[in-house]
Amino acid sequence: MPFVTVISAAGLTMQFGSQRALDSLDLEVPKGVTGLVGANGAGKTTLMSIALGLRPATSGTITVLGLDPTKDAARLRSVVGYGPERNVLPEDMPASDFVKHLAEVRGMPKSEARGRASDALWLVGLGEERFRALGTMSTGQRQRVKLAQAIAADPSLVLLDEPTDGLDPVQRDEMLALIRQISADYGIDVLLSSHLLEEVERICDNIVALDAGRLVAQGPLASLVGDTTTITAELVEIVERPRAVDAVEERLREAGLDVRRDLNQLRVTAADQQTSLDAIRDAVAAEQARLRRVVVDRTTLEDLFTEAST
Amino acid sequence: MTAAEIFDRGYRTFDGERAGVGKAVRSVAWHTIRSILGLGRKGRHKVFPIIVAVVAFLPSIGFLALSVLIGDLMEGELQPEYWELFGLPIVAVMLFATLVAPEAIVRDRRDGMLRLYLSTPLTAPTYLAAKFVAVMTSMAIVVAGPALLYLAANTIQGLGPDGFANWLEVAAKLLLSSGIIVVFFAAVSLGAASVTDRRAFASVAVLAALFGVSIVVNISVESIGASRTLLVLDPLSVPLETAARIFGDNSDGYTDFDTGEVVPTGLVYGGTALWIAAGFGVLADRYRRIGAV
Repeated sequence: MPFVTVISAAGLTMQFGSQRALDSLDLEVPKGVTGLVGANGAGKTTLMSIALGLRPATSGTITVLGLDPTKDAARLRSVVGYGPERNVLPEDMPASDFVKHLAEVRGMPKSEARGRASDALWLVGLGEERFRALGTMSTGQRQRVKLAQAIAADPSLVLLDEPTDGLDPVQRDEMLALIRQISADYGIDVLLSSHLLEEVERICDNIVALDAGRLVAQGPLASLVGDTTTITAELVEIVERPRAVDAVEERLREAGLDVRRDLNQLRVTAADQQTSLDAIRDAVAAEQARLRRVVVDRTTLEDLFTEAST
Repeated sequence: MTAAEIFDRGYRTFDGERAGVGKAVRSVAWHTIRSILGLGRKGRHKVFPIIVAVVAFLPSIGFLALSVLIGDLMEGELQPEYWELFGLPIVAVMLFATLVAPEAIVRDRRDGMLRLYLSTPLTAPTYLAAKFVAVMTSMAIVVAGPALLYLAANTIQGLGPDGFANWLEVAAKLLLSSGIIVVFFAAVSLGAASVTDRRAFASVAVLAALFGVSIVVNISVESIGASRTLLVLDPLSVPLETAARIFGDNSDGYTDFDTGEVVPTGLVYGGTALWIAAGFGVLADRYRRIGAV
């Protein structure tokens, strides 16, 4: 039966001594490109290790592509590609041999592995460079080789751990485009871990956000970020109206708006931008406050993440 | 002139049947053998395997040359016992165990291949099985190769064992001895090398395990007067002694010339088994600790 959930976890907990790396995670990762976001140490790599069956969880359950990673590890890992974070590869091995060898280990027949290695390297833009030793390649090229080896054996799912680590902005754009392409063009589901929220927001359909091992948000990116905007109104305290900022904040809350205050800045998260701007205007006028500026921003993943983790 | 055209096959899905863990083990083993022997690598990686092979095959080729030159005179005292042919190959395999075998596992830890391997259908035990097979196969070339070559050449010259049954028995004993020697050095070298992920330190660890223990045991026996039985813990002599016992013989070192007592065969086999178990034990424990890396 075709699965609609790529990864599903319930109460997933991982304890390393006294440190809890994952804390009772309940996850549903759908098909498409999913961003696994969180700061360094949030538990992203631990979650990937458990999903691959490299280590058992302390408690809880997880299924990947409908399989239990602890019981069906070999079967699961033959259809899951993995690109590790560590950017170290065998120095003296040509890229084509490296990708071919790993494709064979993942179950490809020898003759098929050679062709697929070549195809995967062409796909990631290293066709002309495929016979070069890995040790002579740049960081960007090595990241592409890691992606090529992850997809060469025609996986159903690819787990990529910080695939843009060490790349310059141009290389990062190209890598993100490639990841989007392998999902859109070849139907390979991707779980991409990153601590850079902006890049996740650019290419992911869904997100799973972790903070110190806890789940802080998950779901389709569009529904999490939606069309909400953040309006920042910066007011000036004046002698004649010493409590004006407090009063404006109070009026906005009474109007039912979600307001956060940072000194003299009032940040309003709103689904209806015009209504919120009108409310700010009315409150400022009513309290005779002095307005320095108003900035309207679309709500970003970073806003959501900051809000959820505070 | 026909216009050139580039056909882009492009990335595509795979509809065939995927091979299982057995194929993965074979693939990693073959890849490791090629790496150990320097195949497909730069010339400098081939130098040491060639030196080891020369050292291993030298005595067999020397004896063969003598038998060709002096013929029947080789029969009797001049003709070595079959187990004695393992003498120089064991020196060669010790060099191999110290300088080449650690490469099989240390390199994977250093350059990130281990983590990639463990993300495939391989598990830590099947990965180690592949590495063990690779090291054993490489060592078997220099251990079994010279002895079987000598047996075959002697047979062709009419100097081999009498009768087919005897020939089969000698061949079986040579293979069994080779197998035990190879398992012994593969287990010890991989076990010792697993304690570090730096190749130079791994070689030092293997040296310490082989030569360090051997020196301590021999000083204890020869200088302090400890029982000769302790020699079964000497990793440099017990593999050859095991081969001698398989052929129903024993070496001088395991005989006390004052009392005429010979270290019991069971203890010799026990010492060999202990070293093999220790090598496997350290290897398994180390990779259990490393876990998912």
